[in-house]
Amino acid sequence: MSIVKIKGLTFSFSRKEEPVINDFSFSMQKGEIVGILGQSGSGKSTLLRLISGLEMPMKGTIIIAGTTVVSESVFIHPEERGVGMVFQDYALFPHMTVKDNILFGLTRLPRKERKSRVDEMLELVQMEEFYKRYPHELSGGQQQRIALARALAPKPNVLLMDEPFSNLDADLKESIRDDLGVILKKANMTCIMVTHDRHDVEAICDYSITLGQSNVSNGLNRVKLKTIN
Amino acid sequence: MNAKLIKRNLKKEINGWWIISLVGAVVILLPILFIFSSIFLEPNENWLHIRQYLLTNYVANTIILVVLTGLFTAFLGVTLAWLIAAYDFPLKRFFRWGLILPLSIPTFIAAYTYRTMLGYTGVVQTTLRNHFDYQMNPEWLTVSGIHGAVFIFTLFLFPYVYMITRAFLESQSTSYIESARLLGRKPLAVFYKVVLPLSRPAIVGGSVLVIYEVLGDYGVTSYLGIHTISTAIFQTWFGMYDVNSAMKLAAWLMVIIVGIFFLERLLRQRRRYHLSNKSRPLVPVKLKGMAGVAAFMYCGVVFLLGFLIPFIQLIAWAKMTFHKVWDSTFFTLLYQTVYVAVISTLIILILSVIVANVCRSHSSFSFIISKCVTSGYSIPGPIIAIGVLAIFISLDEWLAPMYFSMGLGEAPLILSLSLVMLIVGYFIRFMATGFNATEVGFEKVGTKYMEASRMLGMGVTKTFFKVDLPLIKGSLISGFILTFVEICKELPLSLLLRPFNFETLATKTYQYANDEQIHEASISSLLIILISILSVIIFQILGKRVKQ
Repeated sequence: MSIVKIKGLTFSFSRKEEPVINDFSFSMQKGEIVGILGQSGSGKSTLLRLISGLEMPMKGTIIIAGTTVVSESVFIHPEERGVGMVFQDYALFPHMTVKDNILFGLTRLPRKERKSRVDEMLELVQMEEFYKRYPHELSGGQQQRIALARALAPKPNVLLMDEPFSNLDADLKESIRDDLGVILKKANMTCIMVTHDRHDVEAICDYSITLGQSNVSNGLNRVKLKTIN
Repeated sequence: MNAKLIKRNLKKEINGWWIISLVGAVVILLPILFIFSSIFLEPNENWLHIRQYLLTNYVANTIILVVLTGLFTAFLGVTLAWLIAAYDFPLKRFFRWGLILPLSIPTFIAAYTYRTMLGYTGVVQTTLRNHFDYQMNPEWLTVSGIHGAVFIFTLFLFPYVYMITRAFLESQSTSYIESARLLGRKPLAVFYKVVLPLSRPAIVGGSVLVIYEVLGDYGVTSYLGIHTISTAIFQTWFGMYDVNSAMKLAAWLMVIIVGIFFLERLLRQRRRYHLSNKSRPLVPVKLKGMAGVAAFMYCGVVFLLGFLIPFIQLIAWAKMTFHKVWDSTFFTLLYQTVYVAVISTLIILILSVIVANVCRSHSSFSFIISKCVTSGYSIPGPIIAIGVLAIFISLDEWLAPMYFSMGLGEAPLILSLSLVMLIVGYFIRFMATGFNATEVGFEKVGTKYMEASRMLGMGVTKTFFKVDLPLIKGSLISGFILTFVEICKELPLSLLLRPFNFETLATKTYQYANDEQIHEASISSLLIILISILSVIIFQILGKRVKQ
């Protein structure tokens, strides 16, 4: 069964403008990691915002884990979609510690389970000893790991990552990229990652989609990069 | 768009926050629409009398006051802004800040201070008579009539033009001014050919604020005996208890305001003022010798006249009357002022937060709502006051059967004699102050934390309390103080909408002055000024933060 299914998605910022995303269709299976490539303004980040419910499409349907989250007559709010997101600049809450940031999305878990879930996540991203720190006391790479832990903690159906490496310097980026691939596979997470760097996609993703002028009208250009285990 | 899509899109937008915002906007717009609706009311005898014999005089006086004050404040504000932005001279850093201080003295306090100080028994003429044996024609220095009002308005309202123009010149105009200097133009030519035309939006922006203040003034004009549309609104209500004619006068005032608004838009058509995207601070030129002394003198005289002299005079009077005024009734007055200001400010801030949060979506609905809730600031106090009064009287009439069944008599005025009416008036007038401060806070934080929170399963309300509120609380505190101060200083609304026997610092000060107990008015005046200085300081800090 497809975990994410998109049919005929169309979006434009205003009715007068040309659509940024035009009649886009796509589906992915559980555990797949898909990279979205494209030039600036090709609608990569917009696609993530449409899946997460932060933007409203003009047309089309999005189904996540069998539930229609948006269609012509349905709109499910972002907080009810079961979608996790790692933002470009991580958006870690500056007034909360690392632990509180991860705890934030766990309100639906029984109290007893929350602590063990935080520990589990900190272990996954290998940041156990940093739980008391505030975001500004962490390096860029550490912040990214915590953002990842925070997004994974509520066990979302799908994880969306918007340019997750754009704030890191080149050396750090490579090692973190490898770690991220391992973490995502370990968590068996379905993930859509937006990037402008083909190397990111090659290192982590199973598939890539290129959005751009040539393919917006007819959907996408899907390239298989690896065989999924 | 079909019905299904509209329903879906509404589902995304509509929640409790959205509905409260809509209600708030309606409450703010209602009195204004009520005023406009009065144009279609059947005119009564009072109105026919006003229209035939008085209206021309009211309109003429209002226009003369607006035009003269507008011209003089623009001149004073722009020349001072240019001196401070472009030149270095002794005490310039002090004047940069100090020239805002005249704004902390409410114009009606300035009017009675100057009138008494320069009057026959005032310190100036007495000193000249007793120490220099010089008998001056008392007419020469009398602050009265239109020229007196223009003098007061100019001296105490010019900081609006000064602040906005200075901020523009310091940050936006550098490349043009430097080009003009490099092209060999003399300072005066740079000022006339480049600075003045470029600063036009800033000058107009500041002048429009001054004009709104003048149009809404009741304190100065009534004290100096000038008949304007604003004073006429008060007289029609207090003298004739004729709310319909007062509303018709308010509608006339609104017509003038709308006229000014469109005139400004028309004049601005097809012109561009900002070509350069880069903003670099202007490097000031050092003024040497006589030029430096002249600049210092100019700023110094304005500072002395606009702040220091009246302030010292008030302190002197306060010392004389301290034992007489500073008693338990004064504390009751303070308590009442703080009480009503705190309640109104809290209501304003709560609604500001709700509306500003809705406006983060940047939809066309949120744009309209933000314009509606901030519209009260550009509408003079007397108009809001009469609109609110008319609505509350209608509400009381409408609720009369309910009052009767509750045993409160046949047609009692319950709501229109309560503090609620005053609080609603303050809410409409000062919503913009609270809203703007809150919006600055939200803009600084951006939407990323809110979006992250919603992606982690929190709804709009929980997100607000757990994420947004801790991050914007600094702006909310600034907004609270600014709104609180504005309410403490407010006069026309308080005079018209307060319940019987309810006094605020401003109304009591006005009452003292009106009863010619000028010295007794000084302590409450000083308190208002000190509270206002606090707001000037907050304004400075806010400005610095926005810059950062």
